[in-house]
Amino acid sequence: MGLGTWALKKSPWVYHVNVGACNNCDIEILELLTPRYDVERLGMVLVGSPRHADALLVTGCCTRQAEPRLAELYKQTAKPCVVFCIGSCACTGGIFRHGYHFSRPVDEVIREVDPGAIIAYVPGCPPKPEAMIAGAAAALSTL
Amino acid sequence: MSELKNVTGQDVESPILARVVAALGGMVLDVTEERPTQGWIRVDPARVREASRVMFEQLRGRLATVTGIDVRDGIDILYHWTFDADHYIATIKALAARPSQAIDSVGQDLPACNWIEREMHDLLGAEFRGHPDMRRLILADNWPEGVHPLRRGFKVPKVDGNGKRETQQWAGAADPEVTGQKFSAPKKPGLGRTLINVGPFHPLQEEMEFFQLYCEGETVVDMDMRTSYNHRGIEELSSRLTWDQVPFLVERVCGICSASHPWAYIRAVEGIAGIQAPPRAEYLRTIVAELERLHSHMLWLGLAGHFLGYNTVWMWAWKYREPIMDILELVTGSRIHYANNRIGGVRRDVSPDMYPEIRKALDSIKAPMEMLTKAVLDDPVLHARLKGVGVLSHEDARRWGVTGPTARASGVPIDVRRDHPHGAYDLVEWNVITQDAGDVFAKAVVRCLECFEAVKIIERCVDQIPDGPIAVDVDHIPPGEGCGNYEAPRGETFHYVRSDGGPGPVRHKIRAPSYVNIPSFKASCIGQHIADVTIILASVDPCYSCTERLARVVDADTGKPRYTFSDMVRISQERTRRLRKEV
Repeated sequence: MGLGTWALKKSPWVYHVNVGACNNCDIEILELLTPRYDVERLGMVLVGSPRHADALLVTGCCTRQAEPRLAELYKQTAKPCVVFCIGSCACTGGIFRHGYHFSRPVDEVIREVDPGAIIAYVPGCPPKPEAMIAGAAAALSTL
Repeated sequence: MSELKNVTGQDVESPILARVVAALGGMVLDVTEERPTQGWIRVDPARVREASRVMFEQLRGRLATVTGIDVRDGIDILYHWTFDADHYIATIKALAARPSQAIDSVGQDLPACNWIEREMHDLLGAEFRGHPDMRRLILADNWPEGVHPLRRGFKVPKVDGNGKRETQQWAGAADPEVTGQKFSAPKKPGLGRTLINVGPFHPLQEEMEFFQLYCEGETVVDMDMRTSYNHRGIEELSSRLTWDQVPFLVERVCGICSASHPWAYIRAVEGIAGIQAPPRAEYLRTIVAELERLHSHMLWLGLAGHFLGYNTVWMWAWKYREPIMDILELVTGSRIHYANNRIGGVRRDVSPDMYPEIRKALDSIKAPMEMLTKAVLDDPVLHARLKGVGVLSHEDARRWGVTGPTARASGVPIDVRRDHPHGAYDLVEWNVITQDAGDVFAKAVVRCLECFEAVKIIERCVDQIPDGPIAVDVDHIPPGEGCGNYEAPRGETFHYVRSDGGPGPVRHKIRAPSYVNIPSFKASCIGQHIADVTIILASVDPCYSCTERLARVVDADTGKPRYTFSDMVRISQERTRRLRKEV
């Protein structure tokens, strides 16, 4: 394992992307930073730019307006990066799958840009913070 | 329920409806009064502007929202006016008849109507003559012109053989790269002004929203907003579900109003069908809803602290909020999407061994809340930062139709829990908190004090809750229409539901509180400094984070980037540090 991958696993910097969610998953993600769950002890930090990110936390079913912006954002993210689809909406479209403003599930949007993208799924509506941490740990251990 | 069908305002039972009909006079074509708290008045569509002026200025009503429905003869426009002090909702109906489907714009007179008319134009194709700004609001840039999702006969594009949905454009639609800009582009800033684009992505905030600030130097002189990134087409989805499935959908309109949206919808439907939930269910609904208000206000407090540079406030507020989330999980099974409310009652009961847990959790947050409240109310730097900042005057609050703590902080004493009694709110004692200043400080005070009221309400409900069934059986929703509202943590959430006796709603209009609160930025941000913008925009608690996502601040003339988001928060936090030294 190279130095870069080791550093990524030890301290993944995450950038949070909401592409059309109800904010529930987003709040639970923010709660990961707060004292009860405190993911900073695992080295996870929210960064202000996708160019600094090791992981993208994507929430929300991808709306039509958001889709091209998500693709653009993925292109801007420094590689290697892991895309986490947090919540049922990001995994499959969730309860909004049949809506007229829903375009495609997040993984299809990402794979169109990069067929070899590393994508991890954390389903739930919303997934509990413990589930998110478990999902992150499981995904990073496979790198 | 009395069944009175009247024409031109005679023998109307409700005094407030009689007053409205008398004031509207010759404009009235038909009056329907189905229940003691709601009435329906059809007016001559050529006189809607006059009617709205009467409702707003003469009768002092509040425009909650406007619903558009595709009917056989055209687009029926329903203006929902509430008379909070009289516990009444009077809906004015005006038909925008085919083929033109046009009606005079009320938004040119009343800012509260501005956005909703743009939305009805997008979703239904109704035309509003004289509207000052009919750019696309809610549909994506690449959505084809002339396709209106809420019209009868609209079909979502199919999935092709490869499992792919048609996503970019339908056949015949113009190139999205060209038309997108035309439909919703921000206006040019003009001489001497800088256009600051704020959004759509923000490093810390949750949603994608796109604001444009027009600045002269450091002062914001105008604001605009493009929304669509989060539009999920929920009203259209709702019309394809059954009555009992809809609460699960509307729960997910917003993560922090999970108890509010279903309850507003359920109130509307229970009104149509004449259902009264059992008393125990009303208490249970109230307990969960007030727990939600508690956790939402504490969440906001933490965020406000973060924007001002008090990260400790953020961490502590969210830490002390966790016992509330635990209690919600204990009572409903989930920290956030509760799924406990249904038409006719609630789905899950609370067992007696949960009461001590609830009381313990509430006791555990009293001291921290007092500490945080004192930190807000007594800190001189916060006074300097928040007092007199982002003032929304009483008159502007009325004109923009704001609700919730945003309105109460401007001295508008409206609270759906008191004004349209439901749940256990008229059975326990509590106070409505108002302030007069209308600035960010006043909004913070209102939210802090409302936390204490919420604790009181929950404790009293737990003490007084009667035994009994938790739901009544419901087998049929008859034809009819109804409005249901509820005081979400951010303000009034308003739902309108129409039934034709079928398995689900034929029209379900949802108006979240942030929809009326956010546009009031045009009144409260003008004349303020850029450094204060983040906290002013956050002060209406825009669904936790419908706030601007600061991506880059670009000088409109030179195209050179000036500020990134972290710069903007740093500017805001630096101002706090400067003031701390001065004070």
